[in-house]
Amino acid sequence: MMQLRALLRGVVGLLLAALLWEGAVLALHIRPEYLPRLSTILAAMAATPGAYWDGFLRTLAETLLGFAAGGFVGVLNGVIFLRLPALRDMLFPIFIVSQTIPVIAFGALVVLWFGNTLLAKAVIAFYLTFFPVTVNTLLGLNAVDPRQVALLRSFGAGPGTILRRLQLPAALPQIFVALRLAASLSLVGAIVGEWFGDTIGLGVLLLQAMYNENVVSLWAAILCAAVLGTGFYAVVAYAERRIVFWGAEQ
Amino acid sequence: MQRRSLLAGFGAALASPALHAQTLTRASLRLKWLPQAQFAGFYLAKAKAKGYYAAEGIDLTINPGGPNLLTENLVATGADTFGLSGGTDSVFAARDKGLPIICVGVAHQVTPFFFVTRADGPIKTLADFRGKNLTAWFTGANYVLLGMLAQAGLRAGDFNLQPQQVSVTPFIEGQTDVVTATKYNEFYTLVSRMGRDKLRTFVAEDYGITFPRDTLIVGEAIAKEKPELVKGFLRASMKGWREALAEPKLGVDTVMGIAPTLNREHQEFMLTEIGKLMLAGKAAREGLFWIDQDAIKSAHDFLLRYEVIKQPINLATAYDRSFLDAIALADRRA
Amino acid sequence: MSRATQRGLLGAVLLLGSWEALARGLALPAYTLPAISDIILATWQHRSLLASAGWYTLAEALLGYAIGCTAGITLATLLILLPPARRVVMPAMLAINAVPVAAWSPLVLLWLGIGMASKVAMVALAVGFTIFLSALAGFDRQDRRAADLLRSFGAGPIALLFRLRLPAALPLIAAGMRVATVRSLIVAIVTEMLGAQGGLGWIIYQAVVQIDFVQVWSAILVASVLSLSFFGLITWLEQRIIFWR
Repeated sequence: MMQLRALLRGVVGLLLAALLWEGAVLALHIRPEYLPRLSTILAAMAATPGAYWDGFLRTLAETLLGFAAGGFVGVLNGVIFLRLPALRDMLFPIFIVSQTIPVIAFGALVVLWFGNTLLAKAVIAFYLTFFPVTVNTLLGLNAVDPRQVALLRSFGAGPGTILRRLQLPAALPQIFVALRLAASLSLVGAIVGEWFGDTIGLGVLLLQAMYNENVVSLWAAILCAAVLGTGFYAVVAYAERRIVFWGAEQ
Repeated sequence: MQRRSLLAGFGAALASPALHAQTLTRASLRLKWLPQAQFAGFYLAKAKAKGYYAAEGIDLTINPGGPNLLTENLVATGADTFGLSGGTDSVFAARDKGLPIICVGVAHQVTPFFFVTRADGPIKTLADFRGKNLTAWFTGANYVLLGMLAQAGLRAGDFNLQPQQVSVTPFIEGQTDVVTATKYNEFYTLVSRMGRDKLRTFVAEDYGITFPRDTLIVGEAIAKEKPELVKGFLRASMKGWREALAEPKLGVDTVMGIAPTLNREHQEFMLTEIGKLMLAGKAAREGLFWIDQDAIKSAHDFLLRYEVIKQPINLATAYDRSFLDAIALADRRA
Repeated sequence: MSRATQRGLLGAVLLLGSWEALARGLALPAYTLPAISDIILATWQHRSLLASAGWYTLAEALLGYAIGCTAGITLATLLILLPPARRVVMPAMLAINAVPVAAWSPLVLLWLGIGMASKVAMVALAVGFTIFLSALAGFDRQDRRAADLLRSFGAGPIALLFRLRLPAALPLIAAGMRVATVRSLIVAIVTEMLGAQGGLGWIIYQAVVQIDFVQVWSAILVASVLSLSFFGLITWLEQRIIFWR
């Protein structure tokens, strides 16, 4: 019942926002080059629904792939670095530096190496997500009470068991903080990746709209990206609430 | 690290004509920009209903370009088989840097852009550019402008030249005095928002400068090992363009199918103008994608004079007309 | 030199070494992957060009950063002081935040042109949201008992804010500010690559078009150095100001 009410509140909120948008543009005489009416935007989407739907699905696929890869590798890195601090000391600075490189700068190279494929975009999305997940996994794993680790060890538990039964579950809240961030970052990676000669995708629609000075189409693509971003984030947050039921740290 | 072209394994199969129908050679064409009517002929030739590339034994993928990609680079590394690249200037630059690509056809026979000012403004001749705010693309058009202005006695510092923006709105709103526009793209926006009679144009050819653009390039290795592939690609492309120019509505429909969010009137205008560019000069007689050696030499010497190219380039090897010559005149004409 | 630092240096040396070996050993052409020695040499040769581009981008990033931090903290403070406003504004904020930052670039470029203004706006947007969310989370993390205690002494909401909530929120705000330093430079460069009159992103774009990939990497090198310096500066400042951490 609580969830239904929250949902209704959300829907009403959206409707109000939509009406406010429409009203503001009309009342304030905002020029369509800056902010078109919501009705115009929706009409444009309805005129060519295929482009937006296909774009939505393609970008979603790239985002999911990059997110999954980044999340998996990030957690793996965290676990490895926990066990091999020497490796962590060697690689962490390099990772930090790699995150200061704007991935768009070598996007051209990514296309050269991986071609015009889904994989190339997923690689860019992966690149943006693996580091925050690594950092947070390590943070979470290190935050486990060492006395509990010692206790389990005194019962004869091996490192693998301690990891599975104590450390990973204890680190989950922190890992999910990173996963929620990664949800948005992988979408950014997918969109930016599509700016390198892709054919379908929300990023492609954004670029086409910009170079054709089609502000209506631009806003339509932005709306689709917002829906994708919000939806994906909500799914991850929901998973977090279910899995980490003992309370998530902000 | 280098991506080998996908054609590697198909070499032997191509030799047997009986196998043409069964084994298609995989190849790709990288365009110079986002999909629009400027590339209608290629899209039409690939369209399922036409299948001109397939008829030549080529399974062609068309990859769009964009602001962050360089076609010469992608063709040089084998990421793409063919490319429709920036123009004679970018081919010179690539050869200058030692990229193993050659040009096998030139789409736009004359300079496809010009410089636009307000008809009722103070600029009547090139000399009036002095002290004004100019914008041009720094990917080639700026040299043409500098060359034209040098003839009027103006040199760097006599005017304010800035890289041109994505949008022509600053010109329309009066923030800049001179804007660079392609005849087929930005000009449409200017005409529809300001009216043709309000605009004055300065054309490079009027000042003895020619800058052919939209060059078809291919890797040196492919050209040497698979000449039939190159010829087949050219033949099919010509067929597609012949039809796109003869039936503009079909051409525009095909492009709108690829990028549904484009503006139809704009694309129709674009296709008409592209047709004029592709059939200008010697192309009217010799056929589409003709390589006019005189025009190429003129552009080369121009860039050499302004030290954009540091040393002369062997034009005979960089611009290989043998593939065009090998195709029957009837197949080349539009 | 601590063990960790030694290993860090070892890692860096190994990476650079294998890069150089790969580039030279496989005789990779410059347009695939230039050797690191070539990049460093080219960076030195073009140092004045890269330096002025670097300052240009840094200026955009710093200005956007300052605006973003101020706006983010101010807005979070306002929403904490006026809970009803929070319920109304938050959905709008979340909606704007749901749009990936990169998606706003084309629109901002069309609105504000390709001068510095559009880059500053984009950086302010990206940084502002990071700080806003961090500040909000920080303020929410209040110690109820301490708050009740202060209230029992007659402290009003403003006093409560400055004496209890703000200091308690500072660690999270600080963390957000640190993350935002790197983001600010990246957002500035990404926006510049779509349209600019100067800056590192502009250099990268020009270099790609002129088939000068060594220059691309030189610009990336400079960008990296600037990011790390900015990050280091803010971290150092915070250690001085938030002394109880």
